Amino acid sequence: MTKDFNIDDISNLASIHLEEKEKLKLQKDLEIVLEHVDALKNIDVKDEKIDIHPLSKVLELREDESTPSLSHEDAMKNSPETKDGHFVVPPSIE
Amino acid sequence: MNRNIPSISKLNNLFLDKELKPSELFEQVYENASFTESILHAHLELFYDEGLENSKKSDERFLKGESIGKLDGIPIAIKDNINVYGYKTTCSSKMLSNYVSPYDATVIGMLKETGSTFTGKTNLDEFAMGSSTENSAYGPTKNPWNPDYVPGGSSGGSAAVVSAGSAVASLGSDTGGSIRQPASFCGVVGFKPTYGTVSRFGLIAFASSLDQIGPITNTVDDARIIFDNIQGYDPKDATSIKPEYTEPKNKKLKIGIIKELMQEGVSEDSQNEVNKVTQLLENSGHEVVETSLPLTEMALSVYYLIAPAECSANLSRFDGVRFGLREPASGSYEMMNKTRAVGFGEEVKKRILLGTYALSAGYFDEYYGRALKVRSKIISDFQKAFDDFDFLISPTTPSPAFKFGEKTENPLEMYLSDLCTIPANLAGLPAISIPTGLSDNNMPLSIQLMGKPCSDYSLLDLAESIEDMVSFNHLPKMTKGDK
Repeated sequence: MTKDFNIDDISNLASIHLEEKEKLKLQKDLEIVLEHVDALKNIDVKDEKIDIHPLSKVLELREDESTPSLSHEDAMKNSPETKDGHFVVPPSIE
Repeated sequence: MNRNIPSISKLNNLFLDKELKPSELFEQVYENASFTESILHAHLELFYDEGLENSKKSDERFLKGESIGKLDGIPIAIKDNINVYGYKTTCSSKMLSNYVSPYDATVIGMLKETGSTFTGKTNLDEFAMGSSTENSAYGPTKNPWNPDYVPGGSSGGSAAVVSAGSAVASLGSDTGGSIRQPASFCGVVGFKPTYGTVSRFGLIAFASSLDQIGPITNTVDDARIIFDNIQGYDPKDATSIKPEYTEPKNKKLKIGIIKELMQEGVSEDSQNEVNKVTQLLENSGHEVVETSLPLTEMALSVYYLIAPAECSANLSRFDGVRFGLREPASGSYEMMNKTRAVGFGEEVKKRILLGTYALSAGYFDEYYGRALKVRSKIISDFQKAFDDFDFLISPTTPSPAFKFGEKTENPLEMYLSDLCTIPANLAGLPAISIPTGLSDNNMPLSIQLMGKPCSDYSLLDLAESIEDMVSFNHLPKMTKGDK
């Protein structure tokens, strides 16, 4: 089950740059965990339903009413860089 | 009462009788923190000025006979993954080292209404991922019973401050045992309420279908008082429920000992505490019978697929754009990759990678989908068990607190310390850890009780009766004056 685990592909999907030394340790640790969770393969789950909420609660939407919320200014306060009320990021087309 | 600080009800009486002022209590608690913090490192930030100011407002209310309730003037510590307006919420991560919360979590707003004061924010494993606080980017918290030992985690700071008397109570969060396991290691009470009864709004999400805020306290009654003041439906949390609390049918209770949590892998010490309490319960007229929940043995595997999968989705918001750390780079994609590389610690990266893998194309059904289905089977098993039993009993942890570095080499070793607590999170059950004794090396031992969903108050009643029978009255090494 773990033979297809490629740390480079996964770190790329997760958008986390890893150093070579880090890769070795993480690959080893993740293989240990994946080997352990392999035990689930032996459980018969045919026709089993999936519960998203552990108490099977149907998730409700709020009423469509406007209520006080964070101000634009407060919502931007923690951003590393803003300009004219917008988030500033480095170029996305390189 | 088992601490050098009285229970919340007693403190309230002292305030009402004008024998103690809330500001004097706050100063005492702060002094305790000053004595112990340099060794324990349990608080990440202390709110001295605002805390003292608020406690003086409580003084005035008691003087005028206008006190709000039992929590008025009570100093409470807050785990640093719960937002308090105007203060940092770091989640013990470099990623959020400068994040200042622009709003209050729902539980914080509710506590503010009670007149309680906050001592500060407490240390945790980064983003609540860990069982020892060794994963905090700001250094570990030490166990007040012996600083060579871990306080447990992830709410290790919240448990240590209550144990050391640096707060009367604290809030923690519990995704796989993060309230109960540290409470057990630090000799205090840790209560994880039924999933959905306490709002998660303002708790930095780790695994949303498992996360639950709850209290860590000196006594079961303290836990009941805090729970009473923070529970209730919150439209801001889509998973919040409108609880209808239940009572057992009979006064004579039927309690099941979970067989799978009383076998190899669980220390004799931990098993003995369950046997000791079983005897006391039987002496009180309750029926205690062994029962089997075979899929409990799969709970750890289910958890280590579901929790990482949800964490990989939840933590994708930390991308260096809207809040938190940003590493300089020439392009957006490079910036995100570098920011997440520098901002997250090893354990967080590990769980994000594991979750990303479990959710990736071609593996979703094999891992995440299968784990969700086994989780449903585990929930069904508990439902069936509660047809026969009012409550279930087990050890809280497979062993008492371990030493620093003892379980950091192999991830499974550390994960196994949540073996007994994870099932309640998977099934959304209320569960509580109460201290019951000491090991040969003078570290606290405990038992765990679990109830059916929304049996929270009756679970607390049973826990309180055990607390009375056990009379755990030991004090940790690290209290005021014993630096």
